[in-house]
Amino acid sequence: MDRGIVIFLGALLTFSSSWLGLVVFPFRQLGQEQPYQKDEGDIPYPQPLQGLALAGMRVYQHNGCMYCHTQQVRSEKFGDWWDANGEHKTGADIKRSYGLRRTVSRDYIYDNPTMLGTMRTGPDLANIGVRNPSEPWHHTHLLNPRSANSWSIMPSFAFLYAREKIVGSRSDKALSLAREWTVDPGYRWRPSAKEWEAILARQGDSLVAQYTAGQPAAIDITTTEGKKRLLEFWLTTPEEEYQVVPKAEGEALVAYLLALRKAEFPLPEAKE
Amino acid sequence: MAVTVAEMSQHDRAKSAAERAAIDASCRGPVLVFASSAVFWLLAGSMLALLASVKLHVPYLFTGSAELTFGRVRMAHLQAVGIGWASLASVAACLWLMCRLSRAELIYPKMLYLAGALWNIGVSLAVVGIILGDGQSVEWLDAPPYAPPFFVAALGIVSAWTVAVFRRRREPHLYVTQWYLLGAVFWFPWIYLVAQFMIFWSPAVGVVQPIVNWWFGHNVLGLWFTPVAVGTAYYLIPKIIGRPVHSYYLSIIGFWSLALFYSWAGMHHLIGGPIPAWLATASTVGSMMMFIPVIAVAINHHMTLLGHFHRLRYSPALRFTVFGAISYTLVSFQGSLMALKSVSETVHFTHYIVAHAHLGAYAFVTMIMFGLFYYMIPRLTGREWASSVLIRIHFWCAAVGITTYFVALSIGGWWQGRMMNNPDVPFANIVAYLLPHWLTRTLAGLMLTIGHVAFAISFVMNLAGWGKQRSGGPTFFVEPEKKT
Repeated sequence: MDRGIVIFLGALLTFSSSWLGLVVFPFRQLGQEQPYQKDEGDIPYPQPLQGLALAGMRVYQHNGCMYCHTQQVRSEKFGDWWDANGEHKTGADIKRSYGLRRTVSRDYIYDNPTMLGTMRTGPDLANIGVRNPSEPWHHTHLLNPRSANSWSIMPSFAFLYAREKIVGSRSDKALSLAREWTVDPGYRWRPSAKEWEAILARQGDSLVAQYTAGQPAAIDITTTEGKKRLLEFWLTTPEEEYQVVPKAEGEALVAYLLALRKAEFPLPEAKE
Repeated sequence: MAVTVAEMSQHDRAKSAAERAAIDASCRGPVLVFASSAVFWLLAGSMLALLASVKLHVPYLFTGSAELTFGRVRMAHLQAVGIGWASLASVAACLWLMCRLSRAELIYPKMLYLAGALWNIGVSLAVVGIILGDGQSVEWLDAPPYAPPFFVAALGIVSAWTVAVFRRRREPHLYVTQWYLLGAVFWFPWIYLVAQFMIFWSPAVGVVQPIVNWWFGHNVLGLWFTPVAVGTAYYLIPKIIGRPVHSYYLSIIGFWSLALFYSWAGMHHLIGGPIPAWLATASTVGSMMMFIPVIAVAINHHMTLLGHFHRLRYSPALRFTVFGAISYTLVSFQGSLMALKSVSETVHFTHYIVAHAHLGAYAFVTMIMFGLFYYMIPRLTGREWASSVLIRIHFWCAAVGITTYFVALSIGGWWQGRMMNNPDVPFANIVAYLLPHWLTRTLAGLMLTIGHVAFAISFVMNLAGWGKQRSGGPTFFVEPEKKT
C-alpha cells in the first residue's frame, strides 16, 4: 500500500477519535439543554439578554474584556488554601463572593459567544450584577478605575463617555465625580502651578469662601501651604460648567454588567 | 534512517547538487513571499505585544484611545503572531521541506502567490478589524467574520500544493518530516473549519463554544505548529551535522503517539469550569500520555546530536533549532504536569499560563522557525547572511529574552494563583504583587523585539542582495577549525 495513504488514514483515524470525543459528543450531550423551571408558572431561568444589555454584551466582546475577567465560578471543592489557623480549606471563588454557587452549563445556554474567559488579571464577573448592583459605581469605575480603586491597573474606558457643557441643569445621567476625574476624562487631572495661579487670581476669594463654609479653620492663600490645601480641596469638587455622561455604548455596557447574575438562581445540578 | 549511503561519486554529487538547485529555484518566489510576510507580521506582532505588556503596569498609557485599549491590542497581537508570523513561517516550511524531501519541484507557483496574497489580506483584515472594534473575544479566533474566508481559501491552496508535491515525489523513501508535514496540512484546515463553523457560522449552544474553542486553541499548537516545528527539527539537525537520525523506530512512535494523544488534550483549559468533568479528565489522560511522543523525540534528537555539540558554537541555524528542540521537551513536560488537577487548581486563570504559552509558541516553535530561516533563505536567494553580528544579536536577545520572560511570569503567575485561592488575600495585593513581574516581562519583550529587528534587517539585506555569494560556504558565528 502507498505510504501516503497509510499516513492519511492514520491521521484521519487518530484525529477523528478526538473530534468525536471532544467535539461531537459534548455537542450532543449539552446541545439540548433547556431552561430550568421548578414549578409551572415560574419564570424559567436563564433568560436571554435583551435590548440594552444585549448591546452591552457586544461592547464587552469587542473590547476584549474577557481577556482579564472570567465569567465562571468554580465549586466549593476547587482551589485550596490554609487559613490563619493553619486549617486547610477549599472553594476560594465562592468565599471571594464571586457567586452564591458554582456555575454550570445551563447558566450559559443563551450566551453567544460564551465568554468564560481564562485569565483573572481582574476579578470574576459571572455574578457582578448581584455583587455590585450600583449603576453609578460602574460608570465612575469604567470612566477611570483609579477613581474607585487607587491600585487598579484596568484601562480607563473614557471613550464610552462624553464630556459636555452643561446646558440648563446637570443631567440625571451625569457622573458624580470630582473635577480631577472629569476635566480630562480617563486621566487624573491636576492644574500646573501656573494654571493654578491663574485660577486663584480669577476666583480665589470665592473658592476660599467655599472652602471655609465647610471647614472650621480659615485658609491663607498667600502662603504656599495654603495654596496647596485649597487646590486639594478644589480638585475634589465637581466641575461647575461641564459634566461627563455615558454614551450609548457606556450605558449598554453597564446594563450588561448589571444583567450578569449567573451564580445566584438555585439550580438542582449546582448543589455542591 | 537506517540507510547506509555509499560514498557518492563526483558525478553523482554534482547531479544531486544540480537537482537541489533546481528545486530551490522553483520554490524561490512562493516561499520567499510567505517568509517575508511572516517576518513583517513578526515585527507588527512584537509591537502590539510590547504595547499590551506596558499597559499592564502603566495603565494610563494611551488610555484615552479605544483602538489601543488592552483587550483589543491583546487580540490583535495573537492574530498577528499566530495566524501571521508563526503560520506563515510554517507554510514556508511545509512547502520548501516537502519539495526538498520529495525531490520534486514546486509547480504552478502563481496559485501560491495568490494564497500568500489572500493570507496577508486575511491577517490585515483581522488585525485592523480588531483594532477598530470588531474583535470576537474567542481566544485564538478573534478575527472579525470577514477575515476567515481569506484564511480558509489560502489554507486550502497551501494544503493542496503540499500534498501535490508529495504525490509527485521522485524520492521513494519517506522521511519522518514528510509525515509530520502531511499531518499538519491535513489537521489544521480541519480544526479551523470545525471551529469557525461551530462558533461563528452556526453557533453551538452555551459551553459547547468554549469546548470547541479550546479543542481548537490547543490543537492549533499541537497539530499545526508542533508537527511543522518538530518535522523541521528532524530535517535540520541531521542535515547540518551530516549524520542520519538516530532511530527510525523512535520517530515512528513519536509521530503516531503525537497524532493520537495531542489531539485529546485541550479541555484542561476549562478545568473546574461549567463543563462535564469527564471532558477535563479525558484531556488530562491525553496530556499525560504526551510523555511518550515527547520522550521519543527528545531521545532521537539528543542521540543524533551526540558528539556534535561543538557545532552549536558556529552554526546559527543549528543553535536556534536545538534551542527550540530542547524547549519542546521542556514545554511538553510542563504541559503534561499542568493538566493535573492539583497543579491546575493553582495556575489556572493566572499569568503562569501566559508564560507556558510563550515557552511553546516562542522558545519552541518560533526558535525552530528562526533556525529554518537561517538555513533556508540563503539557499533560496543564493546569498549568505551579510552579518554574523546581527545573527548573534538576534540569538542572544531571543534566548535571554524568552528565558527572562518565562521565569518572571512563571514565578509571578504561580504566586498569583496561590493568592487568588486564598480569599483572605485582597485583590489589590495580588495586583501589587504582579507589577514587578509585568515590568520584567516588558523588559524581556523589549529584548525579543530588538532581536526581531536585527533578524528583519538581516532578512531584508539578504533579499536586497547584500552578503557574499553562497558558493563560499555559510555565515558562521565563528569560523570552525579547519580539519588538517
